[in-house]
Amino acid sequence: MFEAKANEAAGFKQIIEAIRDMITDCNFDCSNSGIALQALDKSHIVLISLLLGPEGFNDYRCDHAVTLGVNMASLATILRCGSNQDQMTLRCDDQPDSLGLTFEDVKHDRISEFSIKLMEIDQEYLSIPETEYTASITMPSADLQKYLRDLRQLSESVSITANKDEVIFAAAGDVGDGAVHVRQYTDSENPDKSVSINISEPVSLNFNLHYFNNITKAATLSDTVTLQLADGTPASIEYKLPSGHIRYYFAPKIGGDDDV
Amino acid sequence: MGIKGLFKVISDNAPHAVRTVDWPLISGRKVAIDASMSLYQFLVAVRQQDGAQLSGIDGQETSHLIGMFYRTIKLIEHGVLPVYVFDGKPPDLKRDELDKRLKLREEATEKSEAADTLADANKFSRRTVHATKEHNEEAQKLLRLMGVPVVLAPSEAESSCAALVKGGKVHAAGSEDMDTLTFGAKVLLRKLTAGDQKKNPITEINLEKALEGLELNYEQFVDLCILLGCDYCEPIRGMGPQTALKLIKEHKSIEKIKEHLETQTGKLKIPDTYPYVEVRKLFVTPDVVACDNVDLKFEEPDLDGLIQFLVTEKGFSEDRVRQNHAKLKKSLNQKPQQRLTDFFQPIKRAKPNTKPAKRGKKK
Repeated sequence: MFEAKANEAAGFKQIIEAIRDMITDCNFDCSNSGIALQALDKSHIVLISLLLGPEGFNDYRCDHAVTLGVNMASLATILRCGSNQDQMTLRCDDQPDSLGLTFEDVKHDRISEFSIKLMEIDQEYLSIPETEYTASITMPSADLQKYLRDLRQLSESVSITANKDEVIFAAAGDVGDGAVHVRQYTDSENPDKSVSINISEPVSLNFNLHYFNNITKAATLSDTVTLQLADGTPASIEYKLPSGHIRYYFAPKIGGDDDV
Repeated sequence: MGIKGLFKVISDNAPHAVRTVDWPLISGRKVAIDASMSLYQFLVAVRQQDGAQLSGIDGQETSHLIGMFYRTIKLIEHGVLPVYVFDGKPPDLKRDELDKRLKLREEATEKSEAADTLADANKFSRRTVHATKEHNEEAQKLLRLMGVPVVLAPSEAESSCAALVKGGKVHAAGSEDMDTLTFGAKVLLRKLTAGDQKKNPITEINLEKALEGLELNYEQFVDLCILLGCDYCEPIRGMGPQTALKLIKEHKSIEKIKEHLETQTGKLKIPDTYPYVEVRKLFVTPDVVACDNVDLKFEEPDLDGLIQFLVTEKGFSEDRVRQNHAKLKKSLNQKPQQRLTDFFQPIKRAKPNTKPAKRGKKK
């Protein structure tokens, strides 16, 4: 059987809330090494790769690897039935047709039990090649979310340029232009507020802001975010989780004459 | 038009081959569009409220130009790069079909003239619609001024659209005609219009997945299409889609089916006059544009030329032409959105360890 118990439902609830707008149905792959998910959004622009390690749970047990095909909207609906402070348990047998969710309010000795029907999802999986990124920036996740939200007011797309020691987020629209320059910064009291920049080669890429803003919803999951870029390849945007990570691969906008 | 009931055969037997697509999935892609069919649609659909044709200052129809101008700009705004393919000379085998259509048009003209009510007159006048040589030439002129590539097919547009897909010049063919698949287009987009996506979404049909689902190879698929009934020969009495698919799966080719049916006592026979060999040849080796020689480059739109043609000659509003020219120019300069599937390779995964029978179906 598979069983995973978390001290607080909040973490899992927030993860699902952060990704549910981008995917409709998805497989959760549960094994000894944790719960993993890979999902391509329906326009094939963003790939979500999630790993929740066993250490992130109070109890974790998985006798046989199971794949749980879930409709995200249904899962979100059921998760909303539990409170953030509740203990949450996910449970299913080795050949499941449903996934059980239990929310336990220890203080008031209340238990609510739900189950969600599973489905068979014929899903596309992509193999992600090793990429040498030429620019990497780690910064407060709320800041990145704000910059991009602001620039969305101006334009559909943002250009991210990394050169020497700064990263510039810029947008140009009918109303006007805007650019945010981000530089290295160390906050010794609040390390999470620091900005660390590492650029080996200058790079400049364009991204759609609608999708980018969907990605940065994950700011609720982690205080910092790491954005990695290389010329002509998708960006990697990673949020660290207590045990594991959520990583987005994001296809850029690239012009070329011989596009088919 | 096209292949009778082919869409249903594919969606029933190979549901994975058919999906609705959203604009981002095809943005930045070139799509070969059957221009002759688009013109026909515009002539039928772009009308005044009372159903009369729209016309310019010289009294000439402008429905086809209005449709072409606005739809092309809408597509490009969504990031899709349309390449228009115009019909050349129809193959001889299609003459019967064309004669039939001509006759229908003549009948409709008579009925339209004799109609008692305006509604009836409109109904029949729409059936008289036919894209003329002038319509085609004007549309080509407009597209060239817009900087949009135009391809002149030696024969039918669908087969050249398919050839451009096969030759890797474009991502997909945009046509309502299912026979574009029979001509070997790997990806066919239907309902590629700028209309309401919620009501009428773009439908993509993938040939490879269709063949997989039908358990046929391409040659067998072509034979199936011929049996279903195409533009080039009359269908056989008693040969419905179910029967045709079953027979092709069992016997693999029309020759073998013919032999088999002759040994049977049933009524269903393939007549000796059935021209399937010629029709098959037409589908498999049609007369198409030479892919190596076509240049599908988008040029800077010519504002002065557009104003001269659309405003001075055809009576369009100058403001609207200028506004739309600006939209077109801006959209053409936009960098197209890439997809992750352009960078990352798909991996086949083993089927999950499940008991499918107990599970709900995917919505």
